[in-house]
Amino acid sequence: MAVTAVLRRMTWLDRVIVMALLLVTGGSFAMITGTPRGARVVVQQQGRVVFSAPLNVDRTVTLSGPLGETLLEIRDGHACIISSPCPHKVCIGMGQIARKGELLACVPNDLLVSIEGQQQKEPSHDLLSR
Amino acid sequence: MSLTRSQAILLLLGLLVLSLLQACDRGPQRVSRSRLLMGTVVEITAFGDQQKVLETAVSEAFEAMERVDGLMSANRPDSDVSRLNAASGAFEVTAETADVLALGQHVAVVSGGAFDMTLGRLKKLWGIEDANPRIPSAADMSAALVGIGPQALKIEGLRIRKQTPTLQVDLGGIAKGFAIDQAIEVLRRFGVTHASVNAGGDIRLLGDHQGRPWRIGIQHPRNPQALLATLELDQVAVVTSGDYERFFERDGVRYHHLFDPHTGRPAALCQSVTVVAASATEADALATAAFVLGPEAGLRFIEAWPQAEALLVAADGSLVLSAGLKDRVRWP
Repeated sequence: MAVTAVLRRMTWLDRVIVMALLLVTGGSFAMITGTPRGARVVVQQQGRVVFSAPLNVDRTVTLSGPLGETLLEIRDGHACIISSPCPHKVCIGMGQIARKGELLACVPNDLLVSIEGQQQKEPSHDLLSR
Repeated sequence: MSLTRSQAILLLLGLLVLSLLQACDRGPQRVSRSRLLMGTVVEITAFGDQQKVLETAVSEAFEAMERVDGLMSANRPDSDVSRLNAASGAFEVTAETADVLALGQHVAVVSGGAFDMTLGRLKKLWGIEDANPRIPSAADMSAALVGIGPQALKIEGLRIRKQTPTLQVDLGGIAKGFAIDQAIEVLRRFGVTHASVNAGGDIRLLGDHQGRPWRIGIQHPRNPQALLATLELDQVAVVTSGDYERFFERDGVRYHHLFDPHTGRPAALCQSVTVVAASATEADALATAAFVLGPEAGLRFIEAWPQAEALLVAADGSLVLSAGLKDRVRWP
């Protein structure tokens, strides 16, 4: 076979080089494809995680707090609060979050929603002043 | 010394492996934690070489902020502020509260009373933070403004004397900034040189963001999903005050939480003001003052303050920018 013939003609140095190149290629491939793609939604209450789910699976979650029930919607890779018993609905006004590190909070109902997982691309900003 | 062909190739392969190992090195550690504190989400991020040190530093930074909240919250009965409000004569506060009151009074004087720490009665009257906010009568507003202003508090070291016994102090426009500064001091004591403390959008930055400036997005005041601008900053504080943060609407009119001490009504000249300053305490107070002063007087006020810059959005949506920010702003 042609492969066997090639292998026979290879010196030990050729084999070392081929092995090294294969390792480098394999390692690079693993580094690229090993990046976790699915970000998660994590909900904390009083410092404890009370709910966690993948961001790429649509669902609506009922979260209980001291004021009552808050509805969290996960849809099309975004999370937002769609209903809350808090007086000013600031948490609803915070809109949608999707990027790693972004937060939604309902302070009166003691709920902190964050996005965890790997980002797909570099964000336009590190922090948001508002 | 000359290398054979084989030795040269092996040397090159060795260098390749070493460079790959370098590329795989994860570099500086990053610790980022969030907590609900002072009525908002506080996020502290610190970079460094030792994960454990960073964890401890961030944890103690949160404790420092909790301590400030305990001293300066008007909602905690044992706080300095609550006890000062209840006192009829001179009252001794902690050094931290005295520092905040002294700086706040300075900002109040320089801003001609646009920043005011003595609006406690007025804020209670409007109840913007309550479940049922209301529009007070003109007579009630006038009554709540009697005796307020920069001269309403006499500060002698730690001893504070209210000129009117019924005066109510509210540090809502400055205490959060001070808490952020205290957290930064804790991080510094632990040797952290690159970090951020973000309390609901009021931010202080320590160092840069791993070799480049921090990119701070500024919330668009009328579109929650959009950025107004991005500022490239390091080693400063940045605070935004806007009429969209806490408000209620009645008959199509927006009533927000940033009051003009001269009228007793929400200040109407700006949509938002972003201030960059050396400390978060200053930035917090300056942003409130500039918001009340409006885009023109507010810009003059900020440009006269040492090491401060500002981006102001007027009530009609037009923008003004201080000279020092022009090279650091990026528009979307």
